[in-house]
Amino acid sequence: MPADLTMSAPIATSYAGPALEMTGIGKRFPGVLALENVDLTLEPGKVHALMGENGAGKSTLIKILAGVYQKDAGSMRIGGAETAFKTPRDALRQGVKVVFQEIALISEFTVAENIFLEEYPTDAVGSIRWTTIRKDAAALFERIGFGVDPAAKVGNLPVSQQQMVEIARALAHRARIVVMDEPTSSLTPKEVDLLFAVIRRLTGLGIAVLYVTHKLDEVFEIADTVTVLRDGRHISTKPIAAHSHDSLIQDMIGRRIENLFPRSRGPARGETILSVEGLSTSKLKDIAFEAKAGEVLGFFGLMGAGRTELAKAIVGFDPIRTGRITIGGKRLAPHDTRTGVSLGIGLLTEDRKSEGLMLELPVLQNTSLAALGNFARSGFVDEGSERSAVQEFVDRFRVKTPSLNQPIKNLSGGNQQKVLLARWLMRGLKVIVVDEPTRGIDVGAKSEIFALIDRLAGEGLAVVMMTSEMPELLGLSDRIAVMAEGRITKILNRDEATQEAILNAAIG
Amino acid sequence: MPQSASVSTFRDTNSARDLLVSLFRRNETVLLLCLVVLIAYFSFASGSFFTVRNITNVLGQASLAMIAGIGVGVLIIAGEIDVSIGSLAGAVAIPLVVIMNHGGSLELGIAGALALALLVGAINGYLAAYLGINSLIVTLGSMFVIRGGIYLYTGQKAIPDKQGLESFYQIGNGRLFGTVPYPALVALALLIGFMYLMRHRPFGRKIYAVGGNPEVARLAGFNVKRIKFLCFIISALLAGIAGILLSSRLGSAVHVAGLGFEFQVVAAVVLGGVSLAGGVGSLFGVALGVLILSFLSNGLGMLNLATEWQLVTTGAIIIAAVGFDEMKRRRQ
Repeated sequence: MPADLTMSAPIATSYAGPALEMTGIGKRFPGVLALENVDLTLEPGKVHALMGENGAGKSTLIKILAGVYQKDAGSMRIGGAETAFKTPRDALRQGVKVVFQEIALISEFTVAENIFLEEYPTDAVGSIRWTTIRKDAAALFERIGFGVDPAAKVGNLPVSQQQMVEIARALAHRARIVVMDEPTSSLTPKEVDLLFAVIRRLTGLGIAVLYVTHKLDEVFEIADTVTVLRDGRHISTKPIAAHSHDSLIQDMIGRRIENLFPRSRGPARGETILSVEGLSTSKLKDIAFEAKAGEVLGFFGLMGAGRTELAKAIVGFDPIRTGRITIGGKRLAPHDTRTGVSLGIGLLTEDRKSEGLMLELPVLQNTSLAALGNFARSGFVDEGSERSAVQEFVDRFRVKTPSLNQPIKNLSGGNQQKVLLARWLMRGLKVIVVDEPTRGIDVGAKSEIFALIDRLAGEGLAVVMMTSEMPELLGLSDRIAVMAEGRITKILNRDEATQEAILNAAIG
Repeated sequence: MPQSASVSTFRDTNSARDLLVSLFRRNETVLLLCLVVLIAYFSFASGSFFTVRNITNVLGQASLAMIAGIGVGVLIIAGEIDVSIGSLAGAVAIPLVVIMNHGGSLELGIAGALALALLVGAINGYLAAYLGINSLIVTLGSMFVIRGGIYLYTGQKAIPDKQGLESFYQIGNGRLFGTVPYPALVALALLIGFMYLMRHRPFGRKIYAVGGNPEVARLAGFNVKRIKFLCFIISALLAGIAGILLSSRLGSAVHVAGLGFEFQVVAAVVLGGVSLAGGVGSLFGVALGVLILSFLSNGLGMLNLATEWQLVTTGAIIIAAVGFDEMKRRRQ
């Protein structure tokens, strides 16, 4: 990659057709068909939006474009020539730059150095030409109008400016196609305006932009064309002018989802166990809700809406700014999981591996962890009673494991999740918060987890369920709270909750 | 985007005040200041501290830790660590002295010593960088293995230098113009060379990148494993050089030479502002860290503080300094 930054435009080609043509793209993961026969065409100088619900296949498609995944079927042409990327470097070399949500910069380096990371300009004896780096970076920024100081340390910049650095890096490598994955998820409205100005500059230079999002307003503001994916399939590609809010939502949702999860319990009539008032944190604003014994309260929100943050705040895992959380009439001390556990609230985390399980330890210890106090005899754990109590839960929840001594890492995702549920129930909980309970679990085990959650509510627990999956939300919840940008925008009763109503509230 | 936005966010580096502020944010400035204050204090407190003899003596002693500290510093910046350097510094004296005792030249002895260092560095590096075994464990293991090997070979006795080459004595004990110890010159040359490497060669920048964010480094096309491997070699070779000079000062291959040296060096490196998390720090800082600890120990000795209390003081200062640095970083 030449370090010739005097060229602000991408490599000129005589080819006048589309910048990128993907046809019939397919990608299969073990047990899942992530993409099937997907087409996508990007025109130079245009913004193409890629939309779809969580799990529609957007991420898979852009990872193929980034060289992170390889396609199993279909063809990809850049500037008219057939191509395929084996590594992220390949993609970059052929002019495709993907700006992921997670910024890929060295935070200890300056902005200018990050731009030249792939290839430092050096002099005859191989020393780095720092002046060239500084001057070229400054010249590049001036030309594309980025308000970023090239001498600043990247780690000290706000995310919005880090994004701009990534985009500038793309230009330094003369990218012809820039893909942005949910670029506004951590930006303020002002920064979003700046980003849009930058995108318009890119298209002005003839660069094709693929803008991946699920925010409708942004699409109407910036996109020329919209492609919608659903369940890994291509649904529609239309000019933005041919769409209305409703028609886009319709394309994203498609069919009505059947109630896949018949509930065994009747309507919840218990008393309020959990009550949250005026809860605010750095990510959450003025959250208030109540959860009753015997009910499943579902929380829905798109990426970045604040579901996980809420889950962690109400169990006392994360600090809060203001607000009051009471469980069974007793106030929970903020940022203190100990009183949370003793008052009877537990969290089933979204990330089982890093925040839930002790992977190397056997089923026994993983299950009894939170309830060890129950088995204490003069300061020692009485293993006999520990074992029999754990065995009881393992049988009740039908955890498939050869023995209690089996390391938990050898169990399937569904069975690991059951162990985590058992861990909390042994403790004698009143409220359980479950965050994305079926993430990474195969379909068969999913319905078992659903049945388990249904049964727990039936036994009188209040279940607070954070989910981004419509079917489990609609199937399990008694009430549905919808979040957008850190607020609860709507709380719907089971009978008034439709996909349209939920998605409309989630878009905010 | 309006042009004015790009202008207003640029730092006005012309302002002298900003320059001062940014200078004092730098870890090295604070360390340099500490060193100056330390030297000034001891000069007042003890009449024999600020003499040419004493200062050059301290520099001579500090240079061994500085040479090894450069290597360990590079390795910690790359996100790894090496605690086998003390054993290695002790071990290289054996081929050195044995070769000379069998009639070999000093040069041949040094070549043998460095060959041993190269071998150890390659083994450490292969196990840690290529096989992915935690480098603290790998080098802790090799620290014991090497020390055990020394005891086995020497029968827990020193091997005296029988040939008594003047050149062997001179490299560790000689002084340029009768004042500046040769080891200090070696340390200075290596410091300048490696500072240049880390700041002005792509390889040095890659070391920072690999330690700062290996994933990003890999995406940028760097060979992360190879870079880390080479850093283990650098660390071992510099420990070897320190060991050669140490052996010259001791006049033999001493079986307990370099015991505890690794922790002295790691302490100085960390005091110098190198983060154990990798990717952060400078070799200039490392040099200052070494000098501070050396002058501290020398000065406290001159004030007749008992060795026991010197240890306590030094340890407390290291924790305080690194803790202060950590808090400063969190506030930013």
